[in-house]
Amino acid sequence: MNHQKYWNPVLETMPREKLKQLQFKKFKRILTWAYTHSIFHKALYDTAGLTPDDIHSFDDIKRVPKVEKSMMRDIQKKDPYPYGDALCVPLEEVSAFRQTSGTTGQPVYQPDTWQDWDWWAECWSFILWSQGYRARDRVFLPFGYNIFVAFWAAHYGAEKLGCEVVPGGVLDTQARILKIQELTATAMMATPTYILNMADVAKNKMGIDPRELSISKITCAGEPGAGIPSTKKRMEDAWGARVYDHSGATEIGAWSYECEDQPHGMHVNEAMFLVEIEDLDTGEIIEEPGRRGKMVITALDRMAQPCVRFDSKDVIEWDANPCTCGRTFRLIKGGVLGRSDDITKVKGVLLSPAAIEEVVRSIDGLGDEFEIVVDKQGDVDRIKLKVELLPEVTRSSLENVLVDQLRLKTNLRYQIEYYDYGSLPRYEVKAKRFKDLRKKH
Amino acid sequence: METSYDIHAINDKILKVKELLLELESEGETFPALARNSKRALVCIKMLEFNISDVVSFTTDD
Repeated sequence: MNHQKYWNPVLETMPREKLKQLQFKKFKRILTWAYTHSIFHKALYDTAGLTPDDIHSFDDIKRVPKVEKSMMRDIQKKDPYPYGDALCVPLEEVSAFRQTSGTTGQPVYQPDTWQDWDWWAECWSFILWSQGYRARDRVFLPFGYNIFVAFWAAHYGAEKLGCEVVPGGVLDTQARILKIQELTATAMMATPTYILNMADVAKNKMGIDPRELSISKITCAGEPGAGIPSTKKRMEDAWGARVYDHSGATEIGAWSYECEDQPHGMHVNEAMFLVEIEDLDTGEIIEEPGRRGKMVITALDRMAQPCVRFDSKDVIEWDANPCTCGRTFRLIKGGVLGRSDDITKVKGVLLSPAAIEEVVRSIDGLGDEFEIVVDKQGDVDRIKLKVELLPEVTRSSLENVLVDQLRLKTNLRYQIEYYDYGSLPRYEVKAKRFKDLRKKH
Repeated sequence: METSYDIHAINDKILKVKELLLELESEGETFPALARNSKRALVCIKMLEFNISDVVSFTTDD
């Protein structure tokens, strides 16, 4: 047995009953902290007629009101400026400002103290250790080091493990590839979109085969791609590296990870987070595997601006099986499957952009980029799918397969538009490939 | 998989270090380098508490 397999061998292999006991007590602690230190949380719970003393069992947790992102937007820019009254510590304790990317609306501000920032790095340490990062690794981080959390905490997590971290901030893609080559970096982290984009630039603009570079592992975040088998395969094939999935969020923390065993899913770090899955229609908490729902999450140790029963909108489902790695932390099957506000009904059928991505990326003659546009033609919903043909690939060689696979995997028909390779937009961070224009009508 | 670490003994050591650091921090009222570095070290102790002490405090049959 590898005696250094786990970052925390006590927590990661804890029997589930004991783990649940730990989660419950930690939940009560953070709930009490929020109730006694945050005006916002106290008002929320008082309105619901509930205090922390009313929570006697795990089953009671669902009585605690959820927090929506819109609520966090409403309180910010008020006192204590600019965070508002969910802040649980004096302003002078706040040592870092970050904000969400604003993909789904106005950004939410997030204060972190020294302790919270170290907690972020601690959560990332679980992730990176499980993916085989060790002190001998030279980790290249090709992201903008800006106001968004993105891979900031990954940087500090990697440092905590003793890795040598190369901050590839203000460099363009070609300069980043040259720096990876020069320094023989062994690992990197980025969104799936950017990992594919970098491989494309290396191969087609620089004449460098990414497989010949020294990258042996890649950690993805920010999009579901590394959990989508065909996208993961494209990345692994392009780089000759193992690609691991991870999910986190500015207002939550780094809550899940795919381990080295690549179980087609991610572990929830249940020592640091409590994840509940809520039925999209009824709101009932789903315990059993195989049923998709919306994640409601609590960061059990985040103190400055607590995250207690946050409605994340991420769609996930429990895996029926434990992981072969020996961790007792539950797996979510296939990672984050999408967002509840992206999964929409078209012609009465549920449409998941991730399912379309899986089909597009599984067809060899198609490029990595695509775009989905849903609109109305008269009263009828219409889905337009824009795809790129790779050079020297003809539409007729793959059209039937694409149409059949889309129908098979999504039960819907598409108006498919074919574009020359390189003509659809490229993205460096999070891609916006799904547009529902019906919402504007 | 059950592990065989003596987390009570580890926790005792964590608490001792914490106590010393709290003392150092309190002695730093006019000595910022002492106060701030002690406070910073206490953050690391907090991570040890999340990793180990919480297990001792919050699971009854250990």
